[in-house]
Amino acid sequence: MSNKLLLAASAVALLTTSPAFAAEDVNLESLHAEIQAMRQAYESKIEQLEQKVETLSAQQSQTAAQVTAIEPAAGENVPPATSKRRVSDNSFNPEIGVILQGKYQSFSETEGEFAGFAIGEEAERGQEGFGIDETELNFSASVDNLFRGSATIALHEHGGGTEVEIEEAYVETMALPHGLNAKAGRFFSELGYLNSHHAHADDFADRPLPNRAFLDGNYGDDGVQISAVLPTDFYSEIGGGVFRGNDFPGGGADGNDIGSWTAYGRVGGDMGDNASWRLGLSTLQVDGAERSANEGAVTFNGDSSLYIADARLTYAPTGNAKDQEIILQGEYFYRDEDGTYNDTDAGTGIVAYDDNQSGWYAQGVYKFHPQWRVGTRYSQLYAGGVPAGLAGSALDDEGHDPWAASAMIDWSNSEFSRVRAQFNREELSGDNEDNQIILQYIMSLGAHGAHPF
Amino acid sequence: MRFFSLLIAVAGLLCAAPSGAFAKINVFACTPEWAALSKEIGGDLVDVYTATTAHQDVHHMRAKPSLLAAMRKADLVFCSGASLESGWLPILLQKAGGPNVQQNTIGWLMASDFVQKLEVMEHVDRSMGHIHPEGNPHVHLNPHNIPVIAEVLSERLFLIDMNNADAYEANLSSFKSKWEKAIAEWEERGAALKGRNVVVYHKSWSYLTDWLGMNIVASLEPKPGLPPTTAHLESLLQSLKGKEIDAILIAPFENEDAALWLSERTDIPALHLPYTIGGSDNADTLKDVFDETLSMLTKATP
Repeated sequence: MSNKLLLAASAVALLTTSPAFAAEDVNLESLHAEIQAMRQAYESKIEQLEQKVETLSAQQSQTAAQVTAIEPAAGENVPPATSKRRVSDNSFNPEIGVILQGKYQSFSETEGEFAGFAIGEEAERGQEGFGIDETELNFSASVDNLFRGSATIALHEHGGGTEVEIEEAYVETMALPHGLNAKAGRFFSELGYLNSHHAHADDFADRPLPNRAFLDGNYGDDGVQISAVLPTDFYSEIGGGVFRGNDFPGGGADGNDIGSWTAYGRVGGDMGDNASWRLGLSTLQVDGAERSANEGAVTFNGDSSLYIADARLTYAPTGNAKDQEIILQGEYFYRDEDGTYNDTDAGTGIVAYDDNQSGWYAQGVYKFHPQWRVGTRYSQLYAGGVPAGLAGSALDDEGHDPWAASAMIDWSNSEFSRVRAQFNREELSGDNEDNQIILQYIMSLGAHGAHPF
Repeated sequence: MRFFSLLIAVAGLLCAAPSGAFAKINVFACTPEWAALSKEIGGDLVDVYTATTAHQDVHHMRAKPSLLAAMRKADLVFCSGASLESGWLPILLQKAGGPNVQQNTIGWLMASDFVQKLEVMEHVDRSMGHIHPEGNPHVHLNPHNIPVIAEVLSERLFLIDMNNADAYEANLSSFKSKWEKAIAEWEERGAALKGRNVVVYHKSWSYLTDWLGMNIVASLEPKPGLPPTTAHLESLLQSLKGKEIDAILIAPFENEDAALWLSERTDIPALHLPYTIGGSDNADTLKDVFDETLSMLTKATP
């Protein structure tokens, strides 16, 4: 019985693999012998296979054991046996990382208003003197073999008070096929270059003007984001998300509806061994926002569409960024808004608004020593035209385009510590000539996650 | 039962065989040594992407776009592990890695998981500098580790692509016999190096010196991961006086300035060892790396 089945299978096998063979005069006897031989060969193969799977799984559990039970190197002080004992409840604790950030800021002007823009509270220039703005606490760990979770709690200072804020709290997939990824919770959206990064990873002590004016530092909202790295030889990725629409430039979302959505596309690659680049386009669309800005004085109701183009280039001799590196980076922002503005400070009442604003920044950072870097940055904003009803309000730039120029130098003793000095010249409105000095430290305790490109 | 599984195996072969060309296994190798080993064992059946060159410090790489694109295609991720690639590999894995290359899967092969690691630390603190609590990750520089890792690699290739099991096994055994012969030759040539003292830039050489019985008497880095300082070099200069030191070892990705500074003042030769494939003009294969390393070391220690 079983031989008949085998015969049939083998006949099919022979027919499909080598049609020429079928034409020959097949001797049943020899075919039978051949099948016997095949059968023996495969049985031994299967035995081998089973054995290998066994060895491999043994190896893996052995590896896991090695990772947990650290073996003392031969000849070195052998710790007492008790110190090898593990408290099993702790071994699954999440990785905990603390970023300690502190700043000393000094400004020559008392005011820092953006001509022609109504801004959120994170866009303000911060408070003078000492502060621990952006100190953050991060927990992250694999949830299981499919998900990874991360939560970041940050300190923000505005108006003289310190607020504790859930900056990010999300889960993301680890092992989806086809380069797919899904992320859910509260997180910094993939928009342009800087938005998805935490401030401690920035090359300057403050965000450039357009990120402050258009995204209030970071756009981080509650929602879901899907992305896919595409199967191309060079790097390409597309993605997008839907959100509550509550974070600046959104606001006032009641959560009944999707308040905003994002989409992005990126390409990137290498130029030889020395240089790498990335280009991206992205958009953030907020529908029916009720946004409050300028400390509650200005409200915007309506639709806000933001488009961003970003570019980044890194160059290091032989591609070895350890000793020397140049990083060039820039983003262009364009925002189209359709709705109404109301500036209660200027007493404009509700005025219809349909116009656009734009802005950009460009920066270069040069690492000239393993521990030292210098950088320079220029950022510029262009407020749109204003309807007559908004003349003299926060939306009226009075013929001035805000700009800022920065220079910084930083020193990193190790990859976990950085001290920075930065000088800014900001002319954000007509009569404003603000010279700023910022001294900053950024220190990382405990787990320190990898940074994206 | 046996027969049933046999039938399944035959059916599986039938499905796969007529298409003839099984797509090559895409290996994402973090470093040139693992890329070279993949080609030795996988031969024409693997397509190997090498993420870094000998002139790049693997620890300081970024999760750059080209690496994401390569990870997207990977069937096997082959790296050193022990945190050497921790600054970028996790991001590649999260963003672009498929289900078959995640940690603890067949497609995730960290070489240092399978060999006896040196410098494993029980108690660590960041004030000790940049150290790897799991142990020193530069495991490929002890040639005895290579066949151990090659065996694991061939098993992984076998499990990913069973159709070509014979080829992987044949490649492994021919590589192993070639390698055993080479080791015997290197050990004969290297016997004179036993007990010799060297200065290193970073602990990149621990497995090499451990294998050859050489002693590392000092590091140019004041702490692992921190660049050499004048003060540290001055104190080294004092402490090395009167000691018999044969060489200062520099890897291709390490800054040579400090080594040359010390070399000038002490007459200890600074040796630019290849460290891995591509680390010198002649280091084209794994065997070349050891051949050249042995030649340079023995030349420096007459």
